[in-house]
Amino acid sequence: MWPPPQHPLRMPAPVRRKLLFACLSLAALALVLAGAAAAGNGGVAPPAETPQAHRIQDIYWVLLGVTGVIFVLVEGALILFVARFRNAGRPRDAEGPQIRGHTRLELLWTAIPVLILAGIITVVFYKLPGIQDIPAATSDGSSKMTINVEGRQFYWRYVYPNGAVSINELRLPVGTPVKLVITAPTTDVNHSWWVPSLAGKMDAIPGKTNHLEFVSPSSPGVFVGQCAEFCGIQHAMMLTRVRVVEPSEYRAYLATQLQVNADVGRMTFEGACAPCHGMKGEGLIGPSLQGNSTLADPQRLKDLLENGKGKMPPVGKDWSQHELAALQSYLKETFAGGG
Amino acid sequence: VAVRAETAYPVPWYRGRVASWITTVDHKRIGILYLVTCLVFFGAGGILALLMRTQLAHPDENFLTRDSYNEVMTVHGVTMVFLVVVPILAGFGNYLVPLMIGARDVAFPRLNALSYWLFLFGGLVLFASFFAPDGPAKTGWTIYPPLSEQQPGIGVDLLILSLHILSVSSLVGAINFVVTIHRLRAPGMTWMRVPLFVWSIDVYAALLIVVLPALSAGLTLLLLDRQVGTHFFDPAQGGNAVLFQHVFWFFGHPEVYVMILPVMGIISEIIPVFARKPIFGYTAIAFSTVAIGFYSLLVWAHHMFAVGLATPLLGFFMISSMIIAVPTGIKILNWLATTWRGNLIFDTPMLFALGFIALFTIGGLSGIFLAAFPFDWQAHDSYFVVAHLHYVLFGGSMFGIFAGLYYWWPKMFGRMLDETLGKWHFWLLFIGFNLTFFPQHLLGLEGMPRRIYTYSNDSWEPSNLISTIGSYVMGAAILVFVINVLWTRRRAGVRAGNDPWLGDTLEWYTTSPPPPHNFDKVPYVTSARPLRDLRRRLAERRV
Repeated sequence: MWPPPQHPLRMPAPVRRKLLFACLSLAALALVLAGAAAAGNGGVAPPAETPQAHRIQDIYWVLLGVTGVIFVLVEGALILFVARFRNAGRPRDAEGPQIRGHTRLELLWTAIPVLILAGIITVVFYKLPGIQDIPAATSDGSSKMTINVEGRQFYWRYVYPNGAVSINELRLPVGTPVKLVITAPTTDVNHSWWVPSLAGKMDAIPGKTNHLEFVSPSSPGVFVGQCAEFCGIQHAMMLTRVRVVEPSEYRAYLATQLQVNADVGRMTFEGACAPCHGMKGEGLIGPSLQGNSTLADPQRLKDLLENGKGKMPPVGKDWSQHELAALQSYLKETFAGGG
Repeated sequence: VAVRAETAYPVPWYRGRVASWITTVDHKRIGILYLVTCLVFFGAGGILALLMRTQLAHPDENFLTRDSYNEVMTVHGVTMVFLVVVPILAGFGNYLVPLMIGARDVAFPRLNALSYWLFLFGGLVLFASFFAPDGPAKTGWTIYPPLSEQQPGIGVDLLILSLHILSVSSLVGAINFVVTIHRLRAPGMTWMRVPLFVWSIDVYAALLIVVLPALSAGLTLLLLDRQVGTHFFDPAQGGNAVLFQHVFWFFGHPEVYVMILPVMGIISEIIPVFARKPIFGYTAIAFSTVAIGFYSLLVWAHHMFAVGLATPLLGFFMISSMIIAVPTGIKILNWLATTWRGNLIFDTPMLFALGFIALFTIGGLSGIFLAAFPFDWQAHDSYFVVAHLHYVLFGGSMFGIFAGLYYWWPKMFGRMLDETLGKWHFWLLFIGFNLTFFPQHLLGLEGMPRRIYTYSNDSWEPSNLISTIGSYVMGAAILVFVINVLWTRRRAGVRAGNDPWLGDTLEWYTTSPPPPHNFDKVPYVTSARPLRDLRRRLAERRV
């Protein structure tokens, strides 16, 4: 008799047992793997060195746990059904039971995902204040500092509260709440500031002011990142690093950055010029700087830096006087034979 | 002496071997033109992908120059979206919709031909831009201003022209599908008896009609900014660069569902046939298609979580994006339930369909990660997103498209594709795909942004190298497919009868390939599985 008289939704008992066993063992395996990865702290999760990045990482682990279980259940069922209900020599036209649906079951597997997703959304909103709202001061008294970040083709320019400037390398004192004000010049293009260990990314968009806040790590270290929004030919070379140092070192750094000296000049050259003219000024996308006559003429150089020319973007637009001076003397020293 | 008289019918020029393809308005021939053209573009886009993977195999590699990498990356994206997945589904729709609903042709055959030829020339404009001064667009397929407004030369303008032509092509095709499905169904084919693939094409077409005008508007503003001197998106003159992102993604996210819904329709046709069962929850699948289509219009800003949106907006777009997971999950569970207690036959179409479920599940789950916006702040524009979108668009769409090709090939050409080569194709592609794209999740989590032409970070090398090796395995799999096609076309293909798979839907009622008029007589449709009804009635009569 076909179809065989059987409850349409009831699997034979041995199949049910095997199914349960397979699903549970797969789930256990996934949990063990997730646990091992969590204990090893990293490799399969976004890195985190600040409380804010840690909370994002917490959300990630919740997501990985929930979706991991769903993954195991769905793929497990798929593999199990493929193995259990394979043709295995039956005639091609032998039909399975003509089950067209099951309203209660379908309602159930509509409702359960809704609940799971509601749970995820709750976790996100529970963690969100700890990611977005940064204390004005930490318990040891360091108060929030604001640093302006400009994304430019193809370097990052950091302006500190005292007017000091650094290119590509941001220095921060340990354990301090930081507010980055992220912009791009209106003549530039979109960029995105991203140092994964410290925080999520935030776009630098011409004509828009964005904010990103985090509490800097409590011990010194160097954290790397790079531009995450495609910004043109040297997007891949738009790297940045954040060097977290002791407060005394930080203050000393700010003081030296305000001077016109060779270090500031070299930093500016390596950040703003080298991506297109080469680390030794040998020419790459832009022409070689060796013996270039523009370098010896302060006014022409200033015009070029501020307005760009042809393919060269206005890299030096709105620079402060000491940056310009430091770069000019560095270029003159290095490429135009001094004097 | 008997003289053999030559019966010299004058064959008009438009019946010639080549001219008949150029002048055709037959939906089946246009469908085949679409499929073949798309597969050629797929080959071209795939070669571009292999070039990129070769460049990224090692740190500081010099295989491609910076400019070429950016061009290749842009054209690869545009090709795969606009010249492969969307039009190949139009190709399936063209070939199958009239056959599945028992119609003689589409509602507007001439418009249908217009739609194909616009598509072909739109695609040629894109590839011709490689020869333009300063080369093609180097902006990524998203063509965000201000970068796209600052690129010199005419590459970006040609890209805009190409997309404009393709939009008109898709729009014309979409209107044709909607009218055909709503007006030309066989007697007895009520909405609850319409094949699920046809449901999905209906939603596909409706979505295109709603969102393509947004793309056209955005592109026109961009073109005006570039050529006429307006400042819609130019921040230096008070324009708003973020506006373009809103317009683009209002089109762009529904476009993602345009690329996956018909594939889900293909899967919903194939799994029941190879499980020898009816689809589980026909109504749920049909209406989840409509629900996905509707919600896809409300999720666009999840592509913009890092541009600095207000928190309530972030919350709204997270919740709406998560809601889409529900109807998607329903479909996956319904397909699984369809295989339950079936008589599963693992012919190549079924392998690809099951592969689709396995891979699309991963892509769907990583989508939930990205919808949770704080995590997206880490993963956005990283290789995690590249992995996610390829699990959806390759592991999802392309696997489903291959399932459809193997399934309907005998109907289109009268010969089966080879099963052994088909299985090699599937397993190579499945393994190669996971090798290529699974490690990219990890790269994204480690901080590798997308769209970089090189990297110096040695710790990213192992994953990148595995990914590149996987991409070569995928290339080999596609070669196996090409060999399969050529070999079975030439000689070895087994002739297919009308109904080699014991299908459920009306296209299997007619000959393979079908005559120009499709059916001599269309049976009255009594359920969603008219062919099974016929077979059963025949069997009962014999008894």
